[in-house]
Amino acid sequence: MTLKKGSFVIEELENVQINIGKIGAKEEQIAEGPTPRPEIIGLRNWDYRILDRYNPVYTPTGDTCDYCTYGKCDLTGNKEGACGIDLEGQSARQALMTSIMGAACHSAHGRHLLNYLIKKYGEDFKIDVGPSNLQAPLTETIMGIQPKTIGDFIPVLEYVEEQLTQLIAITNTGQEGSSRDFESKALHAGMLDLLGMEVADIIQISCLGFPKSDEKAPMAEIGMGILDPKKPVVICVGHNIAAPAYILDNMDKNGLFDKIEIAGLCCTAHDMTRYNKTAKIIGSMSKELKYIRSGIPDVLVTDEQCVRADILKEAQKLHIPVIATNEKITYGLPDRSNDSVDEIIDDLVSQKQSGAVLLDFEKIGELVPKLAMKMGAIRKAKGLTALPNDNEFKKLVAKCTKCLQCTKDCPQGLPISDAMTAAVNGDFSLFETLHDKCVGCGRCDYSCPAGIPILNVIEKASQRVIREEKGKMRIGRGQIGDPEIREEGRNLVLGTTPGVLAFVGCGNYPDGTKDVYDIVEEMIQRSYIIISSGCAAMDIGMFKDKEGKTLYERYPGRFVKGNLLNTGSCVSNAHIAATTIKVASIFAGRKTKGNWEEIADYVMNRVGAVGIAWGAYSQKAFAIGTGCNRLGIPVVVGPHGTKYRRAFIGKPYKKDDWNVLDGRDGSVVNVEPAPEHLMITAETKDEVMPLLAKLCFRPSDNSLGRAIKLTHYIELSEKYLKKLPDDWHIYVRNEADLPVAKREPLMKLLEEKGWKIDWEKKKIIEGPLRKVDVSFQPTNVPRLCKEVKK
Amino acid sequence: MANEFPFEISPMFEGERVRKDDMFVELAGPKSRGFELVRAAALDEIDDGKFTLIGPDLSKMEEGSRHPYAMIYKIAGKLVEPDLEAIVERRNHDFQNYIQGYMHLNQRYDVWVRINKDAIKKGLNSFEQIAKATMMLFKNELSFIEKIEATYITDPDEVEKQRTDAIKIYEARDARTKGLHDEDVDVFYGCTLCQSFAPTNACVVTPDRISLCGAINWFDGRAAAKVDPEGPQFAIPKGEVIDAIGGEYSGVNEKAVALSGGEYSRIKIHSFFEYPHTSCGCFEVVGFYIPEVDGIGWVDRDFTGIAPNGLAFSTMAGQTGGGKQIIGFLGVGVNYFRSPKFIQPDGGWNRVVWMPKNLKEKIKADIPPELVDKLPTEENVTDLKTLKEYLEKSQHPVMQRWTKEEAVAEAETPSEMAAPGWSMPSPSMPAGMPMQFGGGGTKLNFKNARISIERIVFKGKEK
Repeated sequence: MTLKKGSFVIEELENVQINIGKIGAKEEQIAEGPTPRPEIIGLRNWDYRILDRYNPVYTPTGDTCDYCTYGKCDLTGNKEGACGIDLEGQSARQALMTSIMGAACHSAHGRHLLNYLIKKYGEDFKIDVGPSNLQAPLTETIMGIQPKTIGDFIPVLEYVEEQLTQLIAITNTGQEGSSRDFESKALHAGMLDLLGMEVADIIQISCLGFPKSDEKAPMAEIGMGILDPKKPVVICVGHNIAAPAYILDNMDKNGLFDKIEIAGLCCTAHDMTRYNKTAKIIGSMSKELKYIRSGIPDVLVTDEQCVRADILKEAQKLHIPVIATNEKITYGLPDRSNDSVDEIIDDLVSQKQSGAVLLDFEKIGELVPKLAMKMGAIRKAKGLTALPNDNEFKKLVAKCTKCLQCTKDCPQGLPISDAMTAAVNGDFSLFETLHDKCVGCGRCDYSCPAGIPILNVIEKASQRVIREEKGKMRIGRGQIGDPEIREEGRNLVLGTTPGVLAFVGCGNYPDGTKDVYDIVEEMIQRSYIIISSGCAAMDIGMFKDKEGKTLYERYPGRFVKGNLLNTGSCVSNAHIAATTIKVASIFAGRKTKGNWEEIADYVMNRVGAVGIAWGAYSQKAFAIGTGCNRLGIPVVVGPHGTKYRRAFIGKPYKKDDWNVLDGRDGSVVNVEPAPEHLMITAETKDEVMPLLAKLCFRPSDNSLGRAIKLTHYIELSEKYLKKLPDDWHIYVRNEADLPVAKREPLMKLLEEKGWKIDWEKKKIIEGPLRKVDVSFQPTNVPRLCKEVKK
Repeated sequence: MANEFPFEISPMFEGERVRKDDMFVELAGPKSRGFELVRAAALDEIDDGKFTLIGPDLSKMEEGSRHPYAMIYKIAGKLVEPDLEAIVERRNHDFQNYIQGYMHLNQRYDVWVRINKDAIKKGLNSFEQIAKATMMLFKNELSFIEKIEATYITDPDEVEKQRTDAIKIYEARDARTKGLHDEDVDVFYGCTLCQSFAPTNACVVTPDRISLCGAINWFDGRAAAKVDPEGPQFAIPKGEVIDAIGGEYSGVNEKAVALSGGEYSRIKIHSFFEYPHTSCGCFEVVGFYIPEVDGIGWVDRDFTGIAPNGLAFSTMAGQTGGGKQIIGFLGVGVNYFRSPKFIQPDGGWNRVVWMPKNLKEKIKADIPPELVDKLPTEENVTDLKTLKEYLEKSQHPVMQRWTKEEAVAEAETPSEMAAPGWSMPSPSMPAGMPMQFGGGGTKLNFKNARISIERIVFKGKEK
């Protein structure tokens, strides 16, 4: 007898033991897909599909391994190390570890917030993210549940933490040996990262009154020149809003906003403006050292992530007390959480102590403004700054011997000595250019044999541009609401929106912040939807056009073609990835709960979304990118991204790699390489723009969509690389795919390539790889096909 | 690539605005006169590519000046017919905006054009260049145009004279569009453009039903089908009328299976409850059945509040779409409210019991006048109780159904369903298959089994 679906009657029970695990009043939703809470290898088949097409390419910085006491082992020439691992395996293990680190950061951030918010608001506090049917798309797709309250996220983070522990275990010597499986596990960590970020941001949006899918969120001021340095200045550095929120509340309650300046560095700044629109933003991590050395801050408040390791050392020199508010960064400072606010202030003002660990938020809220008032008066009277005065500056620049050691040590290879020479002659313009290109790492200070404090000299010479550095950024809006996605569906289908580009990540740009502005401006004029987050979102707002307007002031913030959206801080990255899940759910009715593979397959084959992390520096950025990859979203990183030492590159010349199935009948269709890569580095601004356009191609494009994508691919290549792309014709399936303004000359070129053209009817007769069929249902997953042909 | 024109032509310039200070000339617009017109002609009447200018050319115009401006195109081809004129004409706006430094706003007799100084500097000096580029784009995109010629007019008297004729043509066209109904044509059009995202969705576009996204009407469908009959927009011969009121046709049903990839096999174009038309997800408005009053409410995308049934737009919209036939929720475009066949098998406007104020304002002119005040919005009612009270108080025609339903219910076996033949999907997520003890089916014996229950959930209030 074969069992079929249906209902059954249990007629007899004999020697049956029934274990009941848990009894509760809450109804749990039922997963719709096959993989709720996927374990370490739960999605391995999907990962293999990705890895088999987008082969990992490694660029290791060394060819030895010294992880354990067997080493160090020489892994050159395919040699195995003492434990049996080879260079490929070790490189993949490195990718896994990087991914884990990033995922742990966001998830630990989420855990810190969850514990705190549950304590403050209770487990039953309702989730509210704005108009959405899928309130937590990543949680639903990965966990198979639909959370309603913040307490519902407890099992979600427990899952993430358990999985991360398993993954960390795998990195120990004597565990995994297959590079392919290391990568599958790295993809798993990337997915966990997206989940951890989503939890963190949804709970803070819900509890702390952040904008909820708000396309019209107000503008915040941004830049090194926005604060009034005559007032006491509080600067919060890091990513976690918990402590700064108390400071803002206290200042609000006591009417201190016109007496004290408060601003943030890095993502804390984002969330401060989302919490209280009076807060301001200095900029990304690249501005940390520069701003501290200016001497403007009177109190530094640190929390977690992207906080420089030398903040205490630098602050001490300028008598700026540091309040460490998160256990993750304590700098060896004494824990003063149980002491009275006045005692702590006395010790800091008198310089008895240079800072304090303070984990009591109420006390932080009370202490910081008070301390700022006292320190402001003292510090401003003394005029404390690390920057040289005019005379010192002249002497310093004259000391330069043009040995070029600084240029050699500079991560950007900046021509510092040229600027020194120009400055000797009173020309500061070269330094002003350097200021934008410099990532503020301070490595040059150590490299100068003449002992010139180079970073200080750059900043001193750039005071004019720094004073003018006043931009605007639309405050982080949170998720993309369903109604906006529904509205935009028409543009996506009719080919008026060529794609969605996510500008994310950090400020380690190869050639200055201005590049991000330039790339965004070019692409937004071409009607791409630009979504941003984190430091990239800040830097986009730093520059103005002829009329003095920033991009945020020029372009509205709706999820519509030619708009510029800021989702928020680093953890708000989750919403960008989640938008693709919403597209699958809204337009294709795809079930989401516990259905990662099907959703990712849909995204990879249909949704023309690309992530770009032009200045990615951290492990977090790598994890986010890897998570997006597992969801089928290609990611481009800037040239420093090669130092992540792993890319996922497609090989267009290997035809079989581009076979997909037609979901209607399971037949195999050889398609154009789309998307061509999953993670790739671009070297220059000129190179990245056509690449972004190309990575928006998808096998499911209808002709309207393909024509507009091809138009921009060709135009951007001609504009920036001064040539037609080598592979433009691969993406042509019929004449309707061709850019409308260039149809005839392009058809002539196709004829030269041997294609057959009917000039009478202006039709392509022979040549393309395949025909256009809008009902074609490309999929890489055999089980999703209606019937598989034998 | 070599460019025969002194300007770039790209969709990139679509959003380009020419401000007053950057403007070389202004043509037509609110402070002058103008129009654009496309006319179908016979093949032998047209000299392909010919351009005629009546009045001064661009090179004779002074910087900062304003002129009347008319653009008339004659098109010909074996497949060209007068019904396509409006479709082709509308593209003039798209194509001219591709031209760098040339801004085209509005349509018909409201056109407003500005050319910026940079374009002149780069070598634009004649309307012939604009007309040639536009004609090239027309022919590239709309392959049924075999021949095209253009006449531009900048002479004030000539613009004025021809504008009067053009307005008569627009009026005649509008009358034809308005007077054309499903029963007047033999062919409908199918549109599967959005299958690139919504694999099983297909729109049936008829004279009385615009595509769901609002972008494709029956004439658009006709034009597109001529360009590429095997493309994503294609003719569907109506075939036999199965249900004239509901809008069911044998031709449409035959196509339905193929269109939906086998998801469904019947479509009633104007029905809410029976074999309704599917949607992809980009619908502007979602209709929802309210069993408590046996009426249909409508809520639009821009409404951020809660409908009387306690649900928001996004929640209800999430129940339909994705190319699936879901009964109880129906996605439509705002334009469908203007159709004379608007949900006619279900009672049409008499069945409509609620919509947000802004939506009501937008379509007020299309609501039967006697119903305007009977139709409550969020300002009148907040929940089902107040909705019912309002409908009773205003004597809404849906009340007639209440008595009928009650009478039916008394006469026949009571049914949980509010209307026969279909069931309401739950707006919350499905709870899975209930265990059916005592039912039929296979009988199982468990021996030496271990049943592990991870969690038991109590439903209802008892704990």
